[in-house]
This record gives sequence, C-alpha cells and structure tokens, in this order.
Amino acid sequence: MGKQRRFSRSVAPALIASLALTIAACSGSSGGSNGSGDAGSTSAAGTGVTRIKVWAWYPEFKPVVDLFNSTHKNIQIDWTNAGAGGDEYTKLQTALKAGKGAPDVVMLEFQELPTINLTKHLVDMGKYGANSIKGNYVDWAWKQSTDGDKVYAIPVDAGPMGLLYRADLFKKYGLTVPKTWDEFKTTGQALKAKDPKAFITDFGANDGGFMHGLFWQGGAKPYTYSASNLPNIGITMNDPAAQKVMAYWDDLVKSGLADTTSYGTTDFYNGLSTGKYATYIAAGWGPGYLQSVAKKTAGKWRAAPMPQWTAGADAQGDWGGSSFSVTDQSAHPKEATQVAMEIFGSDKAAWKLGIDKAFLFPTSKPILEWDYFRNKKWDFFGGQAVNGDVFVPASEGVGIFDWTPFNDYVFGQLTAAVGQAVTKKTSFVDALNSVQSTVSTYAQKQGFKVAS
Amino acid sequence: MTTLTKDSPISIPSRGRHSRREGDLGRPRGPGSVLSYAVLILMFGYFLLPFWWILVASTKSNDSLFSSPALWFGDNGLIDNLREVFTFNDGIYLRWMLNSAFYAAVGGVGATVVSALAGYAFAKLRFPGRNLLFNVLLGLIMVPATALVLPTYLLLSRAGLVDSIWAVILPTLLNPFGVYLFRVYANDMVPEEMLEAARIDGASELRIFRSVALPVMRPALVTVLLFSIVSTWNNFFLPLVMLSNDRLFPLTVGLRTWYRTATINSGASVLFNLVIVGSLLAIVPLVAAFLLLQRYWQGGLTVGSIK
Amino acid sequence: MTGSVRTRRRSIHRQTGTGLLFVAPFTVLLVAFLLFPLGYAFKLSLYRSTLIGGDVFSGLGNYQDVWADPEFRQGVVRVVIFGLVQTPVMIGVALIAALMIDAITSRFTKFFRLAMFAPYAVPVAIGALMWGYLYSPDLGPLHADLLTGPLALISMGNIVTWQWAGYNMIILYAALQGLPREVLEASRVDGAGQLRTAISVKIPMISSALVLTVIFTIIGTLQFFTEPLLLQPLNPGTITNSYTPNIYAFYQAFSYQQYNYSAAVSFALGAVVFVGSYLFLFFARKRSGLQ
Repeated sequence: MGKQRRFSRSVAPALIASLALTIAACSGSSGGSNGSGDAGSTSAAGTGVTRIKVWAWYPEFKPVVDLFNSTHKNIQIDWTNAGAGGDEYTKLQTALKAGKGAPDVVMLEFQELPTINLTKHLVDMGKYGANSIKGNYVDWAWKQSTDGDKVYAIPVDAGPMGLLYRADLFKKYGLTVPKTWDEFKTTGQALKAKDPKAFITDFGANDGGFMHGLFWQGGAKPYTYSASNLPNIGITMNDPAAQKVMAYWDDLVKSGLADTTSYGTTDFYNGLSTGKYATYIAAGWGPGYLQSVAKKTAGKWRAAPMPQWTAGADAQGDWGGSSFSVTDQSAHPKEATQVAMEIFGSDKAAWKLGIDKAFLFPTSKPILEWDYFRNKKWDFFGGQAVNGDVFVPASEGVGIFDWTPFNDYVFGQLTAAVGQAVTKKTSFVDALNSVQSTVSTYAQKQGFKVAS
Repeated sequence: MTTLTKDSPISIPSRGRHSRREGDLGRPRGPGSVLSYAVLILMFGYFLLPFWWILVASTKSNDSLFSSPALWFGDNGLIDNLREVFTFNDGIYLRWMLNSAFYAAVGGVGATVVSALAGYAFAKLRFPGRNLLFNVLLGLIMVPATALVLPTYLLLSRAGLVDSIWAVILPTLLNPFGVYLFRVYANDMVPEEMLEAARIDGASELRIFRSVALPVMRPALVTVLLFSIVSTWNNFFLPLVMLSNDRLFPLTVGLRTWYRTATINSGASVLFNLVIVGSLLAIVPLVAAFLLLQRYWQGGLTVGSIK
Repeated sequence: MTGSVRTRRRSIHRQTGTGLLFVAPFTVLLVAFLLFPLGYAFKLSLYRSTLIGGDVFSGLGNYQDVWADPEFRQGVVRVVIFGLVQTPVMIGVALIAALMIDAITSRFTKFFRLAMFAPYAVPVAIGALMWGYLYSPDLGPLHADLLTGPLALISMGNIVTWQWAGYNMIILYAALQGLPREVLEASRVDGAGQLRTAISVKIPMISSALVLTVIFTIIGTLQFFTEPLLLQPLNPGTITNSYTPNIYAFYQAFSYQQYNYSAAVSFALGAVVFVGSYLFLFFARKRSGLQ
C-alpha cells in the first residue's frame, strides 16, 4: 500500500510539473518562437507591424538582425538558425512539401538555388521591386539568382578564389610565388626537395564546392541550365577544361606534392597551423576562416592571385556564396522581399558587421568598392589589404556559371568518385568521366532532356 | 556434467572466499582470477577513454585543439570555453539544456507509463486482439525509422504541431522495447495466483493493477524509466527534422547545428571548442544522475529477472 | 457452481475492458506514429515520381528498381557483413563482461558496471564526435587513417560496441542475477569451476535475454545509420551517400527529394531485416522466450 501511494505521490507532482512547464513553453519565448506550425509571418492586428520569419546561419547574424529591426519600425525580423547547409535544406523541403512551416525568407547557397526553385515555391521578387537593385550586384551572382526579369534570390556573399601562402616558408626556402599552375607545380617540387614532410597545398576532394570552383576557374562549363528552359539541361562535366583541371590535380596528388586530407577536419586545421601546407587555395571568406583556425601562424600568411592556366590571363572561379529567397508560404511577400533586399543589401552599417564579425565577402558592388572593405588591412596577413589586393579583383573576373537543380546528387557523386580515386590511387579523369555518365543517366531518368 | 534439479540440496559453499554484500542476495561469488581482473581493467580503460578525451579537449582553445595530441593537455582555456558556451548567442545553450531536461522528463515518464500499462495488459489481461497486436509489433519495427520521418512530419504538420514541443514528445512516448520489457517483467514478477485471489475478492482490475502489480513491478518501472529518459535525452534525428525554431532544440540538435555551422566553410564561426565543451556539459547530467541514483537502478535491475 | 461461473464471466469482462483501456494509449500512439506512417510510406513506394514529371502509379516498379540498384545491393552486402561480425562481437563483449562481474566479488565491479554503462548515456551524435577526433590520423592516439576503405566499417563498429555493449551487458547481468541460487550451488557442489558453470549452466539459463539482445542488435546493425551519417564529412570518398541502405534511403528522401524511391528502399531494407531476424529466431527457436 505504501509503495503504491509513494508511486502515485511521485507521479502526480511530476505530471503537474510537466503540465506547468508545458503551458509555459507553449506560451512562447521572447519574441523568437512562432509556436505551432504557423506558416510564416503574423501581423499583429492594428499595430501595423509585420513580422517576417527568417532562416539563416550566417555567423554573428544577431547584430545584423537587431540593426534591421531598429531601423525598420514596420517590419520586424524573427530570426532562427534552423540548421546549417543540408540540415536547413531538409527542413525547408519537408515544409514546402507539407504546405506549412516554411519561413518567409530563407538563406540559400547559390549552388542550391536551382534545386529549391524547381519546387516552384519561390516567389518572384521582381514583382515587388527587386530589379531596382540589379545594378548593385556583380553580374555572375545576379545571373545565378535570376531568370531574366524574375528575381528568385538576392545575393549576399560569395567566395572568389585566390591563393593564400606562407610567406615565411617561401622566404625560408627561397620559393617564388607561382603565377601559373605550371609554376605552382615546380614550386611544389622545390618545396618537397627542401622539406619532404611539407605539401605545397591540400586538395580537398570532399568538398564539391571547392572542386567546382577549380573547374570554374579552369574555364569549364559543366552544366547549362535555366529554369525557363525546362526540361532541357546540358551536362558536360567532363569537357576538356574540366579534364585538364582533374588531370593536373591527379598529377599533383600522385607526385606527393598535394595532400589529400579532407577539408574541415582537425587534421586539416592542424596542417594549416603547423606549416604542413605552404599554401591554402582559398575563397573570399578564406582569410577570416584561416585567421580563426590557424591563430598560431598570425602574420606569416600573404595573399596572391590564383595561379593561371595561361600566363597573363585573368580566369577566376568562385567557391561558395549565398543569398536570400522568399517562399510562397509567406503571407507578406512584399515585406519579405524588402527584408531580403535590405537586411544586408548595400547597407554599410550591416556590412560592417558582416565584414568584421562574420568575414563575409560581399557581392554588392558598392561594398566591394567601399574603402573600409577594400583597403582593410589584416594583421593576420602582415598588414596586407587582402581584399583589395586579391579577392576584389578576382571577384570582378568571375564569369557566368550554371548549377543543376539536383546539386546534392551531383556533389555526392563527385566527392564519392574523386574520394575513391584518391584512396585507390586511380585516375581522377576516369572518376570525372564516370560521374558525367551517372549524372546524365540520372537527369534523363528524372525527366530532363539531356544534351551532352 | 551434473544433473541440476530444483531438488538439489542447498549446501554450504566450501570453495573460495566470498562475502555477502548488500544487495547481493547471498549469491556465491569468487574473488576472481588475475586474468579476469586484467580483462576487466582493460575494458574499463577502453570504455572510459573517450570520456578522458573530452575532458582533456574541453580545456583546450581552438588552436590547441588543432595542434596538440588528442589525449593530453594543451593550453588552458577551460574557463574561457565555459564562459563562451554559456554566453554565445545570448545563452541559447542553457535554453537547449532546459529543453532536453524537459523533453526527457516528460517523455521519459510518459513513455514509461504508456509502456507499463500496455506491457501489463499484454501479460496479464485477456482482451481481443492481444496476441495479434503483440506479434505484429516486432515486425513493425523492422522497417527503418527513416521511412517514417516524412509521413510523421506530414501528420504533425496537418495537426499543426510541427515545430512545437509536441513534435518531440509525442513520438517518444511510443516505446516498443519498453512494452516488451514490461511484458516479460509482469510475467515473471506478478504471480497469477495473487491476481486470481484479488479477482475472486471482487477487486476491479484497475485496483488490482495499482495495489498488487505496480508495487511488485517497481524495479521494472525504474529500469524502463531510466532507459526512456536516456533515450529521450539523446533523441536526435526526429527533432532535427521537426524543429526549425532553435529555441526549442534539445541539446543534441543544438550542438549539431553549432558543429555544422563550424564545418560548413563559408563563414568563420570556428565553434569547435564550444561544441566540445557543450558536449561535455550535455553528458555530465546523465552520468551524474547514474552515479547518484545507483542504488535505485542497480537495485531495480537485480531484483528483476528476464527468463 | 453458477456463482463462480458468473464471477468468472464478470472477471473476464472486466479484464477485457481494463485490458483495452490499458492498451489504448499505446495503441493510439502505435497507429499514429508507426502504422499510419508505414502505410503512407508504403503507398508512396507504389508511385514513381520524377523531378520533372509528377507522380505515376507504378505498383511494385520501384521495388524492381531497388533490387536491381547496385548501390542498394552493395549497401545490403555491407550491412549484412557488418551484422554478422558486429553482433557476435557486441553480444560477446556484453556477455563476457556480465558473466565476469556476476562471478567476481569486488567493489571494483560496481565501478566497472558504471563505466561500461556510461557510454550509453552519451548521445550518438556526441559519441561519433568523440571517436571522430580520436580517429584523427595526426592527433589521435593511433596515428592511422581509420576511416578509409574497409577499415572504416571496423572503426564505426567499434563506436557501436563502445556505445551499446554496456546496455546489453546490464540486461544480461540482470538476467544472471535472477538465476536461482540452488542451481548454481548444485553446479559448484558438483565440482564445476567458474568457467564451466558459466558455459554450461548460466548461459543456457539466460537464453531468452540473450535472444532479445541479439535480435535487437541484428535489427540495429542492419539498419546502420547514425554513425556513418555523422562521420561522412570526414571521408565522403569512403562513406558515400549509399554506404548503407538506410543512409541511401535518407539521402534519396532528404537530399534528392526522391520520397517514393526512398520509401521503397526503406521497405526493401525492412524485408532484409525481417529475413535476417526470423532466420535467427528460427535457429534459436528452442531457446526463444519470444514465442
């Protein structure tokens, strides 16, 4: 009897407590939550304030949100980090499929944009005046975000590529900064002779964006796709330019000049911190990234333009970058468009935060030309203005590039195939050819009219 | 080989030394050979190795994480790390911790109650469909949960419960393994004669459950409660998909978001030290609870038996 | 006589009522979160959907595709091998540990029990993180590339053993603790040593607990998912998007939006698990406590 009473005595308060907590939790927390499956924004009746729900994973984004909220009295942003990269896309896709739960404004990487757009759930922001800021953005980024006059995304940041190198090691071993990929290889050989344990760089076969950036700079055009041209798609992943790139890196890896540690791992950061890698092939967000993961090497790095395939040329590529889109579940597409346009936009105050705290590389032309950004001197790079010296010029040379509307599949196939080639020491070009074949077949099965 | 029957005499054990310890039930035990101790010590080290790693790693700053060997100390950034974990992004970590505790408590208790009722019913009460339902249960869990995620999402979305605490709690209340355990425990611990006697006396089934069965099944309740709380605390995949409001994340999903934000490259949030210290702090409550509540759950497990 | 018949009938009537009542919450949850989703997923698997076209009813067409899909087949082979190795290893470790601490008198065994059970308290995501760092070729203690090629499966198996052996050990230990004294005494009196007692007496007597743990381990290994998913970024060349059938189903649904094909993959995997489990149950039928 006693035990039974004790049991119910312990269960009852637990139930009451949970009930109380439940009620507390449901009544929502400070401004951020939207409780149960609400489709998006709410408009508090009569007060004229429109709340816009934003999903983004930019680092240090809260100050940017606060800044917007303080300067826009009628529109208030409710921001949540619903996940980074694939996690966010998963939630977005399920919410779009269910018809409920998607945010008003969502952060999308350029490479993922066609995939989300294919669901036909993105709002054409051109209808709400987005074309007015067209001139503010670098051409290639605007093209990736739009389809003629239809604007599906407002670009935010990007990653034009450049070369970060250890000036101290170069000096120590008497190496010259390579201006072409041929020179890059000979510099690598010279380095190897002086320090057999060092590599000229690391080749991250686990990063699809990185490899595509190299293809991009190599002049390859693996895909020809435009949403208005459905169901046609051109797939030429193994065009001569891409094969040239793959053959080159195959050679560098097999000659032991380039390491093959996966990007984003502890060993990779270790390599950057300990001088194992004499260079880091970086994107525009690379300097900030390097500064955070390799603090011990402060002052030793410098930036130089990407080596060229032909001496004197100005071929550039991009690795990464993101934008804001508006979903059709938004009850306030006009205000949502405004948010997408203005949260970073070309606003100096917001970009100051983005530049200083998140090390974002802008796609906005006024910001690219802004002295604060362009001539910012980095202590980490011995006082060099890496933006102005290297990455802004690179940004100006980045050409047009299309992505597929099944990018996750492509990246998965590419990283698996090249990863296998690395492990089994087989040909990178063969790997590329096999990916071309699998991806074409996949596209056909999915109903596309494939031209190769 | 000897024949072992229930009638074998209970003789005074004559081999080896053995002491009767509390909760030992007078089981005869030996002091153990050197070999078995050596094996146990090796296993002990193996199981604790990652814990040692995370303790050491929590004291390191990011730089040290990437440059010092995994198993020994580098620099001393423990205080900084702790401070950062609790202040990052307006202290959302603490919120995640409270969320996890809440989900674990409600989910754990709820799952235990649901499983206990069902398990007891399967074992001791006769009702139509009893055998069918039970036999089908095992087959149902063979289809991987991956297949269930989207339909569950759609169902909860229709009910307006996606991105709410119910999206996390309701699915965790379903615990087939718990039902199995309770059925076995009820079969073993609750003698049919007691039930029959009570029935003849005219007691209602509910009354019988409360006064006869529950007290005897207490160790089972403790065991399943423990397993349910742990499993809900560690719940990861479903909350990951269901929740987009980061103020509702449990620790597992929150830490995962930090980790992905740190490794996604474009962006400079090097949050690894936070992920590690955050993980350590996420483990501590459960392990501490085990240590403190040892008496209850270790006692619970030994009184029960699964035959 | 009639009195007790009436009592009996009333008793059964009460049992039915209470039985249904008790089982109701579980059944509702079962229907909502298991039966309905399974049904819906099965229906999904009967349709084909392309990114361009819409949904087309295709009956068992998806299943034909799945069985012919080399990525699925390789995944199945991989998890079957994994199951065949991991299950004995895991249960073996758990059983040996349980037997040892059942037989040894020492304060140390209590600490050991805790130490072995502690990994179960660690969320899988964190466990994978911990071992991911320990597997680092440069900074980990083993200085080897443990996530490449065939070694990857072993390394991940290690994580699973680390995480779940303690849990299984506790279940087996509890069963051992429930064995009747007299039988063990008799064995001792007859001159059997610890080892002999363990093999011939104890293990057979906890067979139904063993069957339970083995079945759930088989199911878990064939459905292998979380560790490969979390460790994949470290080596996507080895741990591909179709490394195990469950991972394949995940990517098909949540990365490629191929929900129909994904559902078919899941059910096909379910069929594999079904065959594997019932094969085992068939061979263990004499000892099974699950009939």
